[in-house]
Amino acid sequence: MSAAGSKRRPAGARAKVSSKAPARAKPGAKPAAKPVRGPARAPSRAAAGAPAAPKKADPRDRLRRVLFLVPYAVRHPGIPVRDLARRCGCTEKELLEDLDFLLEVGSPPFAPDDFLDLYVEGDRVYVALHQSFSRPPRFTESEAAALAAAAAALGGEGRERAVKALRDSVPRDRRASFDELVERIYAGAPPARDSVLGRLQRAIAERRAVRLAYHSASRDAETDRTVRPYTLAQRFGHWYLYGHDAERGKALAFRLDRIRECTLLPDRFEPPTEAELARARLFSEAAGEPVRIRLGAEAAPWALSRPGISLVERTPGGGAVVEVAGAGNDWATRFALSLGGGAEVVAPAAARRAFAETVRRTLARYA
Amino acid sequence: MQKDQRLLDLAALLLKAAEPVSWREIQEQFPEDYGGKGEAAIRKFERDKADLLELGIPVRYASGDEDLPAGYLIDRDEFYLPDLKLPPEDLALLYLAGSAALATGAFPYARDLAHALNKLSFAARAPGASEAAAVAARRLGEGDGGAPRVAPTVEELSRAIALKKRVRLAYLGAERRERTEREVDPYGLFQRGGAWFLVGWCHLRRDLRTFHVSRIESLTVNASAPRTPDFKPLQEFSLADHATREAWEYAVHAPVRCKARLEPPVSAEVLASFGPRARVREDGGATLVEVDATNGEGFLRHVLALGDRAELLAPKALRERARAVLDRLAEELA
Repeated sequence: MSAAGSKRRPAGARAKVSSKAPARAKPGAKPAAKPVRGPARAPSRAAAGAPAAPKKADPRDRLRRVLFLVPYAVRHPGIPVRDLARRCGCTEKELLEDLDFLLEVGSPPFAPDDFLDLYVEGDRVYVALHQSFSRPPRFTESEAAALAAAAAALGGEGRERAVKALRDSVPRDRRASFDELVERIYAGAPPARDSVLGRLQRAIAERRAVRLAYHSASRDAETDRTVRPYTLAQRFGHWYLYGHDAERGKALAFRLDRIRECTLLPDRFEPPTEAELARARLFSEAAGEPVRIRLGAEAAPWALSRPGISLVERTPGGGAVVEVAGAGNDWATRFALSLGGGAEVVAPAAARRAFAETVRRTLARYA
Repeated sequence: MQKDQRLLDLAALLLKAAEPVSWREIQEQFPEDYGGKGEAAIRKFERDKADLLELGIPVRYASGDEDLPAGYLIDRDEFYLPDLKLPPEDLALLYLAGSAALATGAFPYARDLAHALNKLSFAARAPGASEAAAVAARRLGEGDGGAPRVAPTVEELSRAIALKKRVRLAYLGAERRERTEREVDPYGLFQRGGAWFLVGWCHLRRDLRTFHVSRIESLTVNASAPRTPDFKPLQEFSLADHATREAWEYAVHAPVRCKARLEPPVSAEVLASFGPRARVREDGGATLVEVDATNGEGFLRHVLALGDRAELLAPKALRERARAVLDRLAEELA
């Protein structure tokens, strides 16, 4: 086992099988009797504990992952396995399997220095040779189109520049296909220019703190918050801001439709650390009692297909009672009214009261 | 040899080659895979080449000249992801947009999107805050009970749309509450109110139809001739036009001019909710909004949802309807 012996132990404590066989020819030299590749590798695969493939995995998925993994590890020598796995969006076990796979890339008659080579020392990953995989490949048209569609929905002033740059980053002969794909996804209208969402985007890009007039559901009152905005996320059709609340001294999630006012402050902040971000959990905020809404027969199927709405019971005649977690009284009122009389808020009592009051006040306008 | 291994080996071989690699050399390097004589080996190689191209690796054939031999090559400039050369705020936008979309749990080409975000960290010179924001957004989407049920359907539809493959749907209609089986040419996906919709040519109805993805009970993509398109979308079709129709713009009746009054303060979001075709003007502190509706009911509901901050002014009949709805609700609530 000369090959493995001369190197540090690879990931998964597996020996490298076919590498650096003494008989290997120099590049250019006409390869004589070539070792056949497949069989030589078969035993090593088995030794790896048969990278269990219960589901029919597309081989291209692994390739896409490693074409990012290698250049990323090149750029970050000694990156901990855990961090690299996180960056690749896979588990540590999957990452180690990918590293095993990579150890087998390039085989005779390549010269020893042609090998793609990675090793794990302690729990850190190093790349010894990268076979020109020092940068990932260009965006595929679906990667670029998905990103462009997301950017279009989020709006912002740089959107067109960004979409053009994405297009330029697709291989030339795939650009027409990119153009077509972009036309096939519409991820929603961009936010209005001076909207809360628009301002928050700018604040995040410029790393500027914001002052929010925020309606807190748990207290049912408006509070003033100073927040370092970290990021935005959309869940169940609602936008959330995740950021550090100065007064509470911790990172919290804020629902955008409960932000009445948002002002950018002049002070800048440092980006959050990994440790801070690790604590990010969207619904850690006390959500309060879910709002219950009774729906008529016409409104029920429509409302039930909306994200975030769960069925409590069917009512006779095709109606339903549903629950919405994390909804404020305001949201519940608007939602029920948008069903044109086919819905009413029933619980909790405060939400029903808010609904009734809004109906009464609105009716007064039609007197 | 395993396919993933072969593809990567092939890419590595072509990437490091100083000049085009001839078919014969490739055969020699991969005796097991392309070694055979005749068409089958070439076809296998062509399939691999197509797979590489789909991964963003442009393998091409150069016919050669006096300086260079004929053969296959990967043009390195065409291979490596270039620097995007975008200002930091645009990069932040891309990171944010992509991560937020990914965190929703259902987005077309979600897997590609994840790869794209990874690549973005290379294509950006100084990611910093924006990359951190991306990590955070993705984290927000983790561990809250898994992706919504529609995610696999959206993903499968994305593929069908890209390859223009016909799909067969078992679809649950909204009002009729009946299940129909139909063949659809998928044209595109759009999102509204957090939900995804498919637009396509429905062979059952012989017309363009919109389908609520969450009501698609099962989906089969036509598996025959996977790389050959099954259809061509109608020339004049525009997904954006289709998707940006407001509820009151659905074709239900002849156009009627509708008017509403909004009480100050009117937020940018509320104004934007009336869409790009609404006519807006100030009127003594209040804001007047006017639209041409072909579905008055849709406008009524939109105005009602704004509560006491809005009032439907015209047409008279619709205003009466609004009052009747509120009257009845008030009675029930009393």
